[in-house]
Amino acid sequence: MTDTPETREYDGIELRKVREFVWEIPKEGGMNAPARVLASDALLEQISDDKTLQQLRNATHLPGITTYAACMPDGHQGYGFPVGGVGATDAGDGCISPGAVGYDINCGVRMLRTNLTYDDLRGSEEELVESLFANVPSGLGGGGIVEGDADTVEAVLERGMEWALEEGYATEDDLAHCEDEGRRPDARPEFVSQKAKDRGRNQLGSLGSGNHFLEVQRVTDVFDEAVADSFGLKEDQIVVLIHCGSRGLGHQVCTDYLRKIEQRHGDLLDRLPDKELAAAPAGSELADEYYGAMCAAINFAWVNRQLITHRTRRVFERVFRADADELEMELLYDVAHNIAKKEVHEVGVDADGDAVPAEDAIAHEARELYVHRKGATRAFPAGREEVPAAYRDVGQPVIIPGSMGAGSYVLVGGDESLSQTFGSTAHGAGRVMSRTAAKQEYWGETVQNELRDQDHIYVKAQSGATVAEEAPGVYKDIDEVVRVSDALGIGDKVARTFPVCNIKG
Amino acid sequence: MSDDTQRDAPDTADSDASGRFELRDHTADVAVAATADSLGGVFAAVADGLTAAMCEEIPDGGDRFDLRVRAESPEAALFDYLDQCIYERDVRAVLPSDHRATVRSDGDGWLVEASARGIPLADVVARDVKAVTYSEMELAETDGGWRAYVVFDV
Repeated sequence: MTDTPETREYDGIELRKVREFVWEIPKEGGMNAPARVLASDALLEQISDDKTLQQLRNATHLPGITTYAACMPDGHQGYGFPVGGVGATDAGDGCISPGAVGYDINCGVRMLRTNLTYDDLRGSEEELVESLFANVPSGLGGGGIVEGDADTVEAVLERGMEWALEEGYATEDDLAHCEDEGRRPDARPEFVSQKAKDRGRNQLGSLGSGNHFLEVQRVTDVFDEAVADSFGLKEDQIVVLIHCGSRGLGHQVCTDYLRKIEQRHGDLLDRLPDKELAAAPAGSELADEYYGAMCAAINFAWVNRQLITHRTRRVFERVFRADADELEMELLYDVAHNIAKKEVHEVGVDADGDAVPAEDAIAHEARELYVHRKGATRAFPAGREEVPAAYRDVGQPVIIPGSMGAGSYVLVGGDESLSQTFGSTAHGAGRVMSRTAAKQEYWGETVQNELRDQDHIYVKAQSGATVAEEAPGVYKDIDEVVRVSDALGIGDKVARTFPVCNIKG
Repeated sequence: MSDDTQRDAPDTADSDASGRFELRDHTADVAVAATADSLGGVFAAVADGLTAAMCEEIPDGGDRFDLRVRAESPEAALFDYLDQCIYERDVRAVLPSDHRATVRSDGDGWLVEASARGIPLADVVARDVKAVTYSEMELAETDGGWRAYVVFDV
């Protein structure tokens, strides 16, 4: 006798429980593959509360979607493709979708280590937050750390962090500890519009606003001593987390290609349930141009975070009266969470050679895929050649930023990530409350005062509304998100950090 | 929309003689729902909603500037117009406000001729809106005029 799988239904969408924390929307109608949601009961209730499931199901209509579209534990409604979504499409006969990458190309996070302890920092919080806020451009119209002329923008798009190294904004060690060593070789700046370049010129080295921030944190918990040691992390250590992306340049690249695809591949667009999923067929001229432009925007974002790193080092030097080298302000890792990359994965197949989930596979085939991660983080385990040499034996660091009241996590790519999620895990806590509702629920100044008085967290922002919109209460429980990632083996817990100072636009 | 007194930009406001917008809940982003008597009026009302999503208190000052876009359909014209507003914001370093627009079909497509008052970003506390999206976009003629619904990426 076969057990009937547990099912749930939300707004007409049926989910079948595959196993603990894994739910599947079966393939039907125009879906080219099933969809999977990785969530506990509590997270599933939140995920099903908006249009996340509908958007995830829509994503399975993309041509060449392989095995299934997946929603990470922090998933929530986005536009077109859900935030927290992972979709791997065949690079030979599938497609690439700007909407499945998102507007903020290579939005991502990096963490800097220091040799400071929390005790070293206590008493300097206000000076530090004021100095960081004064020196790291944030908000709208705050300019950038570098006033980029046309040649500068071209060089950044072409060479990424190699440009920063040549100009004295980075060290060799920074490049060695960044995803792809801070340069996408497939970048094609000639496919980035002048309009996008115009927007990038005065934003090079800036946080922006929304959920982007720079946060000084202390390590409060170490869960895996051996891996933490490899990452150079220990309890009570001060670290810095920087979260931002490719600014207006990346946003414009996405916008430009959505419109080009609409005009040139309307037949494909007509078959998709949401216009924002606009996709260019693999092998088409537009697919190649978008991929080249997106890779150039990825380089721009890495330089953006690197310039902020450079400025942060100068601030720490002044506040702590020591050289950045003496403070051992080294890059732990920099990882993107809005990106599409050509990657080769071992795909499980059935007797007909069709891609199927690992548990149904009778064989595996190496396939080149465009892996779209929109609000999802690459989480490769030990052994993958794409992981920097410094971490290849232990696995890729995964940085999961939380809200400014809840702290963040450092994970390591899990052994199950390749078979379950094309080497991916969550990217953050994930919102549960809209920005408009948050502004009605919270008052920025009150949030700031409470964080300072109750939790000793010093927050400074350009706009009180931003603080209200980003109040800790608008986010999911990051502990639960990480618990599911860890339990599934897609991203394993290494350490937890707690905020000390936070600046945002 | 061109009064000389500083005023708040609430979540609901007149856009021009007939245009109104409302900021709507969206989990991660922000949506604008707008109505107006005319197609141009509803375009301007959505743009006013975009401005309100970036800034609660809109001050006086700034110079008006013109925008002009042409697209193959009314929806594409609305998308391109709002994208142009965001582009002008970043390149001119101004917050576009007090939007005015006319929209017409001229045989080659849909032409938007618009203007906005550009308030220097240095004079205003404003937040970024990254981009206009097609997600759930609606632009429809009603018995009384036009209505639109647009989601912006924050």
